[in-house]
Amino acid sequence: MKNIRNLGVIFFPAYDWAISPTHPEREERLLYTQDQLREEGVFDLPNITEYKPEIATYADIERIHFCFPGPREVSTESHLVAAGGAIKAARLVMEKEVDRAFALVRPPGHHAMKVVHGNRGFCNINNEAVLIEFIREHYGNKRVAIVDTDCHHGDGTQDIYWHDPNILFISLHQDGRTLYPGTGFSEELGGPTARGRTINIPLPPNTSDEGFLYVIDNLIQPIIDDFKPDVIINSAGQDNHYGDPITNMNFSAQGYARLNEKLNPDIAVLEGGYSIQGALPYVNLGIVLAMAGLDYSQVREPDYNPESLRQSPQITEYIEKLCALTMKNYLKPPPLNVKPNQYDTRSKSVYYDTDGINDQQLEQIMVCTSCSGVRHLTSKTHRNSSCMGIEIPIDACKRCRDEGYRLLDEGRRNFKGTTIKFINRLEQEYQTVNEFELTPMGRYYF
Amino acid sequence: MLLGIDVGGTHTDAVIIDRKGVAATAKVETDHSNLISSLDGVLEKILNSGPDRAISKINLSTTLTTNAIIENELEEVGVLAVSGPGLAEDYFNRDLGEHFHLLEGSIDHRGTQRLALDEAAAKNAVAHCQNRKLKVFAVVSKFSPRNPEIEQTLADLVSSQSDFTTIGHRISGRLNFPRRLATAYYNAAVWRHFNTFADAITQSLKKHNLNAPLNILKADGGTINFKSSRNNPIQTILSGPAASVMGIIALSSITEDAIILDIGGTTTDIAIFANGAPLLEKEGISFGGRPTSVRAIDTHSIGIGGDSVITINPDGKVLVGPLRIGPPMAHSGPQPTLIDACNVKGLCNLGDIDKSFSGLKKLAEQNQLTIEKLADETLNVALKAIQLEATKLLDSINQRPVYTVEEVMHGEKIIPQRLYVMGGPAAILAPLLGQTFDLETEVPENYAVANAIGAALTRTTMEIELFADTGKKTMFIPNLNIKRKVSSSYSLNEAQNDGVGEMVKYLKENNHPEIEHEDVSVVEAESFNMVDDYSVGSKTIRVSCQIRPGLEKDYLEGVK
Ligand SMILES: [Zn+2]
Ligand SMILES: [Zn+2]
Repeated sequence: MKNIRNLGVIFFPAYDWAISPTHPEREERLLYTQDQLREEGVFDLPNITEYKPEIATYADIERIHFCFPGPREVSTESHLVAAGGAIKAARLVMEKEVDRAFALVRPPGHHAMKVVHGNRGFCNINNEAVLIEFIREHYGNKRVAIVDTDCHHGDGTQDIYWHDPNILFISLHQDGRTLYPGTGFSEELGGPTARGRTINIPLPPNTSDEGFLYVIDNLIQPIIDDFKPDVIINSAGQDNHYGDPITNMNFSAQGYARLNEKLNPDIAVLEGGYSIQGALPYVNLGIVLAMAGLDYSQVREPDYNPESLRQSPQITEYIEKLCALTMKNYLKPPPLNVKPNQYDTRSKSVYYDTDGINDQQLEQIMVCTSCSGVRHLTSKTHRNSSCMGIEIPIDACKRCRDEGYRLLDEGRRNFKGTTIKFINRLEQEYQTVNEFELTPMGRYYF
Repeated sequence: MLLGIDVGGTHTDAVIIDRKGVAATAKVETDHSNLISSLDGVLEKILNSGPDRAISKINLSTTLTTNAIIENELEEVGVLAVSGPGLAEDYFNRDLGEHFHLLEGSIDHRGTQRLALDEAAAKNAVAHCQNRKLKVFAVVSKFSPRNPEIEQTLADLVSSQSDFTTIGHRISGRLNFPRRLATAYYNAAVWRHFNTFADAITQSLKKHNLNAPLNILKADGGTINFKSSRNNPIQTILSGPAASVMGIIALSSITEDAIILDIGGTTTDIAIFANGAPLLEKEGISFGGRPTSVRAIDTHSIGIGGDSVITINPDGKVLVGPLRIGPPMAHSGPQPTLIDACNVKGLCNLGDIDKSFSGLKKLAEQNQLTIEKLADETLNVALKAIQLEATKLLDSINQRPVYTVEEVMHGEKIIPQRLYVMGGPAAILAPLLGQTFDLETEVPENYAVANAIGAALTRTTMEIELFADTGKKTMFIPNLNIKRKVSSSYSLNEAQNDGVGEMVKYLKENNHPEIEHEDVSVVEAESFNMVDDYSVGSKTIRVSCQIRPGLEKDYLEGVK
């Protein structure tokens, strides 16, 4: 008998929300998944319960994102419900009402970065980041591992936790040279205070079950065992499926179920996946059963033919080498050329494909030897001209905390832009400065 | 005039209602070994109680099907099931008898046949059933509410040797294969038993010169016409609580969101009303731990009633129920009960009050409490527990998942405005319950034949699902087995009209000429644009229509 667990499923298909009528992110996306789950009678199983999402507040979002000009302008009610679904999953697990939770919600979020001006890669608000900060706010500063199994590089989540050594972010995805967003290469290993806490595994097109499961067994599992997280989250995109119309991989429903059985995440959050008739009903059913510790051996797509999906020996060999290299990078990341206790600068150009926004960012991180370091960035778009973000991290030392307030003070006096967002995770204080007139957002106590 | 009959656990009640109110009542004891004799007896009594009356409709609530399942009077059923990919067999093949045959074949969520039925294996299964001399069958495939072909083929295969076959999609148009399977199985298993009973009912009515149309009560607070019930006997299970709830509605005037408490000797039953109508369970009734697709009024039960025993646990906590050991001490029972505590508190004056006092005093002294304190704590514990259970039920209803942003952000919640308390101890406990719930409280007059009145006044209910796919140009109403070609421009509006129209047509042809279009509510209507390789611009349309539980309005005024 399998290891049966209580699973909470937060199913929120957002039947009245679409990016546009024929966009992959349209009303219909989870319709057939719901048909399948209902017809299987999944919610009648004694260890699986369906829950309604909560509604995330702007405070939940501003805990982690710099939204310009503000969260109201860059999100809709649908984003509050999807993020609220992720929060519900966290609450259920942390309060031990269930053993595992799956937020089967849309819209997705893993391309939403630290700075949000609008929608990029179908995402506005990063559901996983909202979830993690909700956990750290209410249940202590937990160590969290996120494994992003979406076919696209989870560049948003990577950007948010780039400097956070307590969050391990692992993304396995189709090689960025062949797919949006074109990032997620092996050498992207995290910032100077969190080296090796970002791990990218760019897989070649046509990787099949064998390749994905090899990566889980030989790379991800050992890394997680070493990192010893308190919570494991699966950013559960389903576009690695062989039937997905916008990607080129050969993963199957059986493979996704096996992956979840092996990874055994506390919480899974749906990301992409656009083969809505041929893949999603079966992949989601497989994940639900695997997370609940039930028999998923009979879950397969009607057109599933493992022979035709087998990966080539070249791919197998490539993946073996990639895993060996990545393991080395995790254990002993190549050092960066930075000076301790000084600012390190990176500049980024971020394109919002859906909204057509071009963002030029300059980000500075204090290379602190005793905390994650204060983060300071400016962001320029034609829409919001110049904006500033300052973040005092949750584990800030006194120097970095004081430095954050100094930056805020200086920004208020000298900044020539429109908005300053200030996040103090250490003392949970959040401020917005507009047109240089201070309008405190107030403190959020819970 | 309406005739209502409730064959209950202990009594069989009958009432005749005319437009001025209750014209006659009768009561006999129920003989479980011979329900027909109970029916005969009560008819004899009520029809001879006054002048000849023109009965225009007969409604009957009976425990027959329920008892048949509980007492395992089930005929062996040949079950032919086709699941396709998904959950493993262990999860849906539970307690479905010894002749369960899982066959190859598959239909997907869109109703496309992905793997043909393994007819050779099906024939083998049928031959096996023939060897065992099986005469009733259940044939169920996954996604049959989207495409009935495999079920139809199986039904044809067994037809020559079957006295009766339950076909999955005729049971329910809702998606839930395990529930459909269990329901189809039970339906076939009780079919012969029910029909023998039905024949006897026909005889009995004939004997009493009753020619009015007969309807049977269902658990959802509605009726099904007698002819249809012969093929759907499972719809008649657990109709008792529904008759009781409908009786409550008949005798009071519930129009708002409300909580209904029915306090008995050992339990308190809780139901929630929205805008004066009882709420149904989300999916269907669970029977012997098996979920089915039979709809029912949502009621919760808590083990606290007037005869619940008071105990004190090792930590000194006062507990009330769930045990009932006997009547209250005031009525010579062995241990102090909730009613004894009410006697001590001066809330009532039942039986021998001194016995209540001495019983509580003894228990209090054993635990270093004053008798006052023990009585207070007993009431406090009982009331709080009932309130907690009602709140849980209410929360579970208000927390039911919804699937649009609009509903999550702005959906309506049920906020009870009033508390209705019935049952033996209702009058005693109502004022305190009102305080605990902080709601205005009403105690409808206790009426000995309330269930029979509920039965008499109950109207028919029905639910159908319509599924259309404009890419495939098909429209299908599973419960009515209506499958039609439609144009590629078939709209949600047309689908709603078809759903309502077909339901009204069916009911008019089946004993319910009174049903009109406005009696039918469209409870769900969704249309999604499908974008795929072979049907750009086509739509999947889902409509769900329902006649909600209700009472005969023309007769209601007289009863109140
Ligand atoms: Zn993706
Ligand atoms: Zn520091």
